[in-house]
Amino acid sequence: MPDIANTTQPAATRPALSSRRLKRIAILAVFGAAVLVGPLVLDPYTVNILVRAFFVAIVAVTVDILWGYSGYLTFGQGAFFGLGAYTLAITFSEFGFGPWQTIAAFGGAMLLGVLVAALVGWLSFYPGSTPLYATIISLVLPIVLVQLIYSGGNFTGASSGVVGYLTFTFMTDTWFRIAGIATLAVTGLSHVLVSSDAGRLLRALRDNEMRCAYLGLDTSKLRIIVLVACAAVAAAAGAGYAAFGGIAAPENAGFIFGTQLVVMVALGGRGMLMGALVGALSIELASAYLSSVLPFMWELLVGIAFVAVIVTMPSGLFGVLGAAARRWVPWAFSAPQQVMLKTAQARAETVQAGIDETVLEAHDVTKTFGSLTVLSGVSLTARRGELVSLVGPNGAGKTTLIRCLADGREASSGTIRIGGTPIDKLPPHRVVRLGLGRKFQAASVFETLTVADCLRIARAGRDRPSLVTTSTDLALPAAARSVVESAGLDARLDDEARYLSHGLKQALELAMVLALEPELVLLDEPTAGLTRAERQRFAAILTDVVEREQLCVLIVEHDLDFVRQISSRIVVLHQGKLALDGSVEEVVNSDLVNEIYSGHKVAKGKEVSQ
Amino acid sequence: MANLLLDMITTSAILFLTSAGLLVVFGVMKIINFAHAAFITVGGYAAFVAHEIGLPPLLAPLFAFAVGAALGAVAEWVIVRRLYARPLDAILATWGLGLILGQLVVLGFGRGVQFVPPPVQGTVAVLDTEYSLYRMLLILIAIAVAICFTALLNGTRLGLSTRAVIMNEELAQGLGINSSRVRLITFAIGCALAALAGALLTPLTSVDPLMGLPYLIGAFMLVMVSSGSLPALAVACVVLGGLQAIISTYFGSVLGGLTIAVFAAIALRLRPEGFARA
Repeated sequence: MPDIANTTQPAATRPALSSRRLKRIAILAVFGAAVLVGPLVLDPYTVNILVRAFFVAIVAVTVDILWGYSGYLTFGQGAFFGLGAYTLAITFSEFGFGPWQTIAAFGGAMLLGVLVAALVGWLSFYPGSTPLYATIISLVLPIVLVQLIYSGGNFTGASSGVVGYLTFTFMTDTWFRIAGIATLAVTGLSHVLVSSDAGRLLRALRDNEMRCAYLGLDTSKLRIIVLVACAAVAAAAGAGYAAFGGIAAPENAGFIFGTQLVVMVALGGRGMLMGALVGALSIELASAYLSSVLPFMWELLVGIAFVAVIVTMPSGLFGVLGAAARRWVPWAFSAPQQVMLKTAQARAETVQAGIDETVLEAHDVTKTFGSLTVLSGVSLTARRGELVSLVGPNGAGKTTLIRCLADGREASSGTIRIGGTPIDKLPPHRVVRLGLGRKFQAASVFETLTVADCLRIARAGRDRPSLVTTSTDLALPAAARSVVESAGLDARLDDEARYLSHGLKQALELAMVLALEPELVLLDEPTAGLTRAERQRFAAILTDVVEREQLCVLIVEHDLDFVRQISSRIVVLHQGKLALDGSVEEVVNSDLVNEIYSGHKVAKGKEVSQ
Repeated sequence: MANLLLDMITTSAILFLTSAGLLVVFGVMKIINFAHAAFITVGGYAAFVAHEIGLPPLLAPLFAFAVGAALGAVAEWVIVRRLYARPLDAILATWGLGLILGQLVVLGFGRGVQFVPPPVQGTVAVLDTEYSLYRMLLILIAIAVAICFTALLNGTRLGLSTRAVIMNEELAQGLGINSSRVRLITFAIGCALAALAGALLTPLTSVDPLMGLPYLIGAFMLVMVSSGSLPALAVACVVLGGLQAIISTYFGSVLGGLTIAVFAAIALRLRPEGFARA
């Protein structure tokens, strides 16, 4: 077992971990104390305003998770809040106030939130949906909900809302402590979640959803799960709000409220839970005081501040403050922990060298755009241990073929089997699970994640990430590890991917693809833009990996010298058809290839048959 | 029956007028202008101001168009152009712009409701029923807007540059087309069309700071469904507008108001690429 061979020294990582835990506990203690002491030092009006602000802040935190962390701009979280408020108000109105009604109200609120969120998620997220579309759907939800409330008659109280039901008779001070602790709990748990191994997936989704799909992650399902969880929390907050305020009104569900939440998160700082929390609390507090002093001016000022923040400091006030703090008091921030590189245990079916196993079978693949035929009747097979180069002039259909092999929905007709399974109509993440790895032409990595985190995302499909802990090691299969080490990425594991050079990004993406332990690897011009030295090193890594792991690699390449050096077989595409398929010598010396690459029609005009 | 048929057609015309401006911006800049509703409101108030200062009623829509164009150009220059690289942020910023415009309207005119007298009154006999003359006129105006716009896009140099930017912005820049100028003009025209629609709506609805809001979601959905193509938008308006009129007549205006949002959302879920090529 390679794992045991290089075990970490626990002593080296323990102190960093506990200092981080200590900091978390200290922050929690400070806020907890503030929540408990608050009602004693604040005037009753402020306490009252802050109770409402706490419930709003809980929803703002969910908006931040959805928008700031996972990149889904939503105006719909207010609707889930309203849904929860109405569920509690209607339950108490219809069945009276009591213990079982309270349980039913909160349970029902969360259940309704979950069901509606599942429907909204199904509408918003599917392979190929756009972020803009999902945002628009998030606007439709509150509008539909408010219309239903208006037309609900006495049941929903129409435009005046549901009022006058019996509810808890706590003092405002008690409400303050309940709501404050709930806010703290939600924020604290969210913090644990977003900084865990699984939480990293959120930022990966935000940075590059396509890459996630081609790492075998079901991005639609992930997004729906996150939305459902956030909706349940927002609905519970809404129910709490209605229990406190004794009213559920249409404006608690409307899209104006949904947009105010986005404004709060944007001003405070998206992608930072503290930003969302502080943004929500301060805007709620300030608007309670200022909207009576400066009725119209206040909203105008918020609008102007919002636009100014979006344009000039997208990370929000908290982001700017945080960056300044990092510069001026760096000692307050713990240094990143040393990442331990390990070798992951190989899969059970150990690869044996020399097995002549067909990995890819494409039969009669055709791709048309309207009346334009880009690929016609391409048939191709490839076996383990083969490095097949795909060459041909620009526009020959090479990239289209790669796309058809990687995404079952692309080909217009024909059959493609990967590892013996047909991929018809399968979305990319399912094809990847059949053993495919695809490297894009332009390096596609997660720009704001560290190198180590990018590689961990690639392993997320195999080693189920934890929802609670953050790992300090990085276990990679031998092939991926050798790419990381030979490219020198092991020295940069803590750097964000956006700071890497072009060549290192390409190497990182290749390592990510190999971390999937694929059987078939598609590489689309992997050496484009690399220097000659980088290209040579790449060739060495590639042939070595193919040799050792008995991978099947299909590579699109223009440089014939490079192709000759690495390939075990060459396939020539010409005008959407497979023109040649043979050994390196056969193809390189053929008339067709000379014609394509030198541009001269060969005198004898020998036609090469398919 | 004839009444329903006319309702269907005029509803489609109003939808077309209120979403054309959004479509223009979406088609060229690939962003949704969330300030669209605010510009409809601005147009309504422009018509009100035009009436107050004694402009002839025929000039009121043109005045609104000019006000919308000027404000749109300034907004593009000050805000939107800094966010080309961040499309979702550009959308958010236009939402903020909408907030600002809405509050400025409230500061200037108060929260109260204003009325503008219609330029024409009475009814006409169509298909053996009496129908509002002004609503009939809106059909002609919608067709006129569509024709003007198509002519602008296909018959002028600006239209040619615009189509080039729509197809491939980088290539267009390479060919010496000033794409930020195209974007500026596009955004201004989009806002101007929204304001024009607001002015044209004034005889049908009262003028208040939130008058544009009810049209916003319908316009969003229609533009998404037609994926940026003007003919597709016209078809979408006729189909969904007709459906809305039918549902409003038989099932009440609440469900009618949800028709477009719900049907368009489901249609897009089933056919994500939109209906431009259908």
